[in-house]
This record gives sequence, structure tokens and C-alpha cells, in this order.
Amino acid sequence: MNQILTILLIGVIALIGNWIGYQVPPMESLPGILLLALITVIGMGFTKILPFKSPVIVWISLFAMIATSPFFPGNAFTAAAIGKINLLALATPILAYAGLSLGKDIHLFKQLSWRIVVVSLVVFTGTFLFATLFAEIIFKIQGKF
Amino acid sequence: MMEQRVNVFKLHFIVLVLVALTEFIGTKKINIGIGVIALFPMLYALVLGGFISWPKFKWLKENEMNVAANILGLSFFLFICKLGANIGPELPKLMGSGVSLLFQEVGHIVGTIALGLPIALWLGLKREAIGATYSLDREPNLAIVVEKFGANSAEARGALGVYICGTLFGAIYMSILASLLGSSGLFHPISLAMGAAVGSGSMMAAATGSLAVIFPDAAKDIAFYSGAANLMMSIIGTYVCIFVSLPLTQRLYAWLEPIIGRKSKNSNVGGQKSA
Repeated sequence: MNQILTILLIGVIALIGNWIGYQVPPMESLPGILLLALITVIGMGFTKILPFKSPVIVWISLFAMIATSPFFPGNAFTAAAIGKINLLALATPILAYAGLSLGKDIHLFKQLSWRIVVVSLVVFTGTFLFATLFAEIIFKIQGKF
Repeated sequence: MMEQRVNVFKLHFIVLVLVALTEFIGTKKINIGIGVIALFPMLYALVLGGFISWPKFKWLKENEMNVAANILGLSFFLFICKLGANIGPELPKLMGSGVSLLFQEVGHIVGTIALGLPIALWLGLKREAIGATYSLDREPNLAIVVEKFGANSAEARGALGVYICGTLFGAIYMSILASLLGSSGLFHPISLAMGAAVGSGSMMAAATGSLAVIFPDAAKDIAFYSGAANLMMSIIGTYVCIFVSLPLTQRLYAWLEPIIGRKSKNSNVGGQKSA
């Protein structure tokens, strides 16, 4: 119950961000936000009732894909409504909450050796760069671009 | 053991103000010579949020920060949902890029090890290097290492170190990296979008955000392919970590450590400094 309320509140914040940053009037964003919240809550509930442990984001992704795919009833409305919500408007609250949680790790960070900080940056670079490189190579081989 | 009550509405209110303020400021692009850096609302929100949570100011309590971290997870779910809804209408397009999707996942897996392990060893890390470089070390990866080696192991110290760095400046770093790689002209936005799905919510949001600012015309494709790559990662990521990445890193460590590793007796340089 608490989580549903939180999801809705984040939705309201994203709706306001979508209004200020991307000039979409709140009433136009509302259906999309509610649908996003609904699918998200269904995905979370589904993960809970499953007899085995699985990542929530798998189910949320799949349900969102199904609800907007051409064979699902009302897909055109769902896709259009969610289409009104700018992706970046949904990302800004994530990083705002992330920012508010940073303080708790600062004292841990102070205990780290500089070497692990360098290694971290290398690890971040590695995963991004290699995945991009591999995707690019395959697309080139396939002649896609 | 009464948990101190946390006023979540205080957190939501701060985030609301941050979002309104930063969205109002909007997007800026700065050319720094070697490339274009995209500055956009979520980055301002992250920095301002970090400022507000700075321990010295005592504006937020420790448990409020923990709750903020939990809400961060929930807000990522909405983002994921939006990405999924982008894919649905064009499902067939996904089939056409199946091979690339598969291989970029290999890139995500080997990338951390291939670059990270040699450099970690060269810097003198010992078994910390295994935990630090076998994956991006987010929560699930941390759990895997702790379960296998124990919470006080060198491996877990290494993983925790990268985890902390990721939390603190992973998102900022990823967005700068995405900006630079994007404006380098070396890669197609679609490949970069797949690369951006690194398996961490805040890092992925920051990287895809930067790409969307650098390539405004490809914004839809970027959301589509990073969403698909992220789905792939979330389905197979954990299993690959347990059965492939971690054993592979251990083998490579056993092979490379005598070659690159420094001959230092001090094996405690990776994680926390000894008190």
C-alpha cells in the first residue's frame, strides 16, 4: 500500500517535470502517468506472488511491452498516453532521490583507497565501451549501418 | 528497537522542488574541445540532492537517506515501465537486432573484467580485484560476492569499494562518458544506447539522458534500444554473473596476478584502509 502511494507520488512529480520541462499540460500527461503506475504496480505484485525469486524489472518491462504491443486490446491508446511522458521527465526524479541518498555513503567513501576509485572508473568505462563496441561491430557486419 | 519514523513527504517535497527547478533550467550543451558535454536537469538534480544530503549540514538524517535510496528504486521502475512501453509498439524491430543485443551483453560482461582486472592488478590490488572487476558491482552483484566469499573477504571489500564509488559518482561519470563517446562520432547512437544499459538504474538513466541530448533526432531509438538491452541484462545478468563472470575473473586472476601483480606483501590496499 505504502509502495503504491509512493509510486503515485513519484508519478505526480514526473507529471510536473513533464509540464515544466517539456510543456505537456498536466491533464494530457495524467492518463500516461496513471497507466505507467498501474503497469508498474501489477509488475511488482506479480513478482511477489511468484513462487520463485525474480527481478521485478523483468516483469514490469514485459508487461509494459505486452500492453503496448499491437495485439493487446487498447494498445494504441496506452502507447499514445505513455508516449506523452518524456523519458527524461521520468529520469530526473530518479537522480534527485539518488542525490538525497548520497550522504550516507560519504563516510564509507573516505575510507577507500584511491586505487579502488581508479579501478571503479575503469570498470564503468569498460562495461559501457565494450558493449557499445560489440553492438557496433555486429551492426557493421550485418550492414545495418 | 523502534525505527525512527521517517517523514517521507519531506523527501518527496524536496524532490518535487528539485525537479521543478531543474526542469525549468533545462538542457545546456557545452563544447569542451574534445567533445560536447550535455548538462541536463537530472544531473543538476543529482548534484543539488547530494549537496542537501551532505552529512555536515545535517539537513537529512541517515535513515532518511536510506529511505531516499529505496524510493530511488521505485522511481526506476516507472522509468523501466516507460522503456518497455516504447518497445511494445515496435516489437518486430527487436527481432532484427537480436544478434547485436546478444553480443552487446557479452560486451557488458567482459568489459568490466577486460579493462578492470589488468589495471587493478597493475595498481597492486590482490584478491580485492576479483570482487572489484567481475561486474559493475550493484546490489545483486554485491550479494553474489558476499554469499560466495563472505562479508569480510578481500573480494567483498573490492566489490563494496566499486559499489560505493558507483553510488557516489557513477551517474555523473557515465553521463560524461556518454557525452564524450557520443560526440566522438566513432559510434552509432543505437550502439551507444545499448552500451548505456549498464545494469544500474541511476547510471543508465544518466547515460541514456546524455545520449538523448547529444542525439535529439535519435531519442526514440535510444530509448528503444537501451530499454531492450536493459531487459536482456535484467533477465540473464544474475545468472551470467554467478556462472560465467565470477569464475572467469577468478581464473584470469590466478593467471594474471603473478605476471602483472606487484610483489607487495600488502594485500590490503584494495578496500578499506586498515585502521
